[in-house]
Amino acid sequence: MNPAASDERRPVCALRSVTKRFGSILACQDIDLEIFAGEVVAVVGENGAGKSTVSKCLYGLYPPTSGHVEVDGARASFRDPSEGEKAGIVMIPQELDLFPELPVVENIWMGLERPRRRLRAFDRPEMEKRARSILSRLGLSVDVKAPAKLLSAANGKLVEIARALNANARVIIMDEPTASLTEREVANLLSVVRALRDDGVAIVYITHRLEEIFRVSDRTVVLRDGRQVSDRPTEEETESALVRKMVGRPIEQLFVRHPHEIGEAVLEVEGLSSGTAFQDVTFSLRKGEILGVSGLIGAGRSELAETLFGLRPRTGGSIRLNGRKTEISSVQEAFGNGIGMVPEERRTLGLILPFSIRNNITFSSLASFMTGWFIDTAAEDAFAEKASSQVLIVGAGLDDPVSALSGGNQQKAVVAKALARGPSILILDEPTRGVDIGAKSEIYRIIDGLAKRGHAVLMISSELNEILAMCDRTLVLREGRLAAVFDRKDFSPDLIGSAAAGVKEEAHA
Amino acid sequence: MPDAAASEAGAARAPSAVLHTLLARPEFPALVFLLLLAAVFSVTTRGFFAAGNLLGIVEQGVIIAIVGLAVNQVILTAEIDVSVGSVLAVCAFVFGNVAMEYGGMVLPLAASLAAGLLIGAVNGALSTYGKVPSIITTLGALFVYRGLILLLAGAQVLNVPKESRVLGLSDLAGVPVSVLLLAVLIVAFYWVSRNTAWGWNIYAVGGNESGAVTLGLPIHSTRLIAFTLSGASCGLAAAVFLGQIGQLQATAATSFELRVITAVVLGGTSIRGGRGSVFSPVVGALLVGVILNAMTLNRVPGTMELFVLGVLILLSVSTEGLRQRYLEKKL
Repeated sequence: MNPAASDERRPVCALRSVTKRFGSILACQDIDLEIFAGEVVAVVGENGAGKSTVSKCLYGLYPPTSGHVEVDGARASFRDPSEGEKAGIVMIPQELDLFPELPVVENIWMGLERPRRRLRAFDRPEMEKRARSILSRLGLSVDVKAPAKLLSAANGKLVEIARALNANARVIIMDEPTASLTEREVANLLSVVRALRDDGVAIVYITHRLEEIFRVSDRTVVLRDGRQVSDRPTEEETESALVRKMVGRPIEQLFVRHPHEIGEAVLEVEGLSSGTAFQDVTFSLRKGEILGVSGLIGAGRSELAETLFGLRPRTGGSIRLNGRKTEISSVQEAFGNGIGMVPEERRTLGLILPFSIRNNITFSSLASFMTGWFIDTAAEDAFAEKASSQVLIVGAGLDDPVSALSGGNQQKAVVAKALARGPSILILDEPTRGVDIGAKSEIYRIIDGLAKRGHAVLMISSELNEILAMCDRTLVLREGRLAAVFDRKDFSPDLIGSAAAGVKEEAHA
Repeated sequence: MPDAAASEAGAARAPSAVLHTLLARPEFPALVFLLLLAAVFSVTTRGFFAAGNLLGIVEQGVIIAIVGLAVNQVILTAEIDVSVGSVLAVCAFVFGNVAMEYGGMVLPLAASLAAGLLIGAVNGALSTYGKVPSIITTLGALFVYRGLILLLAGAQVLNVPKESRVLGLSDLAGVPVSVLLLAVLIVAFYWVSRNTAWGWNIYAVGGNESGAVTLGLPIHSTRLIAFTLSGASCGLAAAVFLGQIGQLQATAATSFELRVITAVVLGGTSIRGGRGSVFSPVVGALLVGVILNAMTLNRVPGTMELFVLGVLILLSVSTEGLRQRYLEKKL
């Protein structure tokens, strides 16, 4: 670090009109971002807004398709993260990226030039001394010889920061650093971040949690759909303004919604809990209703869906189907009770990629066309044809492997699979994540059609627009609890966003 | 949490900490089991606890241990090398032919090492830069090189001159040269593992590959070096192997690869990678050696051998789960 020597207004590093393309997908476009020494820059945006792509271009994991990275005013082209690190740009990813079996001290020195003594042996006492001194600067005193797997999530984060400092980081990129920390641990981490800033380190702080932005950052950059929509001092921002910039895309002809009749309650959930994932959630879902589930990552939404679908044990509360108390402790029971689900991770949970579209659609329903021990292939064919005709899978025949389909069409195949059993209740977890606009619209058409035919739909979504446009009501979960329920007439991005992030309502202040 | 931090630090200094640190070492259970068995056999089995017999056990385990030291590194990176049986045979074939032609020790050994190195490098390059899973690459290599030996050496009678059998026959102050060679290799592997970036990268790449990517660690070259070492170790072991038996058959060292992997896994290295010790293959090889030796001394039929080894593997894997649970509870 050489503070006074350089021009004060020259950024430590910068992205100059950086664009990154993956095949036909534009992950980010024309990003101009300057990072100065001794400041905390918050980078916010919805899922898929391009936050992680931008940071990966900055520390050298991805080479930009066009534009370039600049370090100390000079153009830099990193071939891999170790080169970014040499330039002083260090990434701390969201998941704990320590090496669990290795001692803390080795984690702090991993990939760095270690001190040596005679015979070029590593100078272990010196390595340990330096590790301890950095850790104590961060207020952490652990046995540096203990394996990293024994660390709590919060202390693991601090060890990662210690490694970054040991690499002489001038810029530390933190991706959702507080995702798995408790409130007390968050406060500690934020004070560490502020102390680093005061020492002249630049921090790029990627987060969903608006509240933390105001607690720690000097400047806030908002990304949306891969574009930079705003870059302003944090003190000039308000939470509602940020929410508006994050979600405020024009609602084109994307969404399909027809009036539909809402009937009696088919699913009533009371005081439902599952371990620490979510507690005491009460709501009802009615025939012909599209009920949204909004909230931040880690709020317990997917876990709620998993519990309703029998994938995750219920530890409290009750579930009633059509007024009758029902136990759903396995996927078979969920199927048997007419519940279908489209999971969030379609590649790992929703599809068997090398299998044909036909087999993917039918394999969860095979029992329904078994004759004795054998599969009635004629019945299977008819079933697959019917299911796929409902959802219009384009680009491949029924016997092509699912892996040949685009993301959007894969997702439609998952939906077809879930619909194949004719569920009366359908749970959709992020149904349009990672799919193109055309497929999105198609999926909305399907959802709308389902509601019109009297199915009950529970739709988890991180995209506020999707909730606003499609749902009749929405639940908002925050930190495992039901924070609010809004009727369609009361929908507003500010209200829902605030409830999800846990903001005090400004209107009432 | 500061409290948790304090207790984590404190726990390491508590009185039971020494035991705990030992127990946390991957090769520790196998080592305890080895010493326990040796003690039991010393009392119960006549002729077991004799210098000659004990040295014999070590001498028999040397070849597995030498190759195991290198294969251990491959397994630590979360890859696998199942080709070493055939590679050993090819190297022995090369060694034997060069020895018959030119005699001496240096030239045959250099040729054998070069052959092993090359084969290992090809295996490694295919498994890393070539993006073929290493189980497939090395399975293919297992068959290809065995096939090659059958084609080339099927009818050949190889008799290695005595001067080229130093590594298998000679003693130094009463200790077989091969055992000394193993001792040197153990020290070398231990030193390299602790004092080079490659040594630590092995554990990082195998323990958390995505973490290694984020840090920009040289993932491919780390693995490539391990595979190359594995091949080279076969080149070295071939010299000991031919030195011990003096002649080569086309089916020599068949299923040797399984014994090596057995030694590595019994010794406490996780087959999933990232966790293990340099000493694992040595402890594992000695454990297998002690058991087979005691079986022979007690006139247990040799047909029991595979059965016993199989039971041993299953036992060690299931006790590993229990140990991990205990360790997690402790801190």
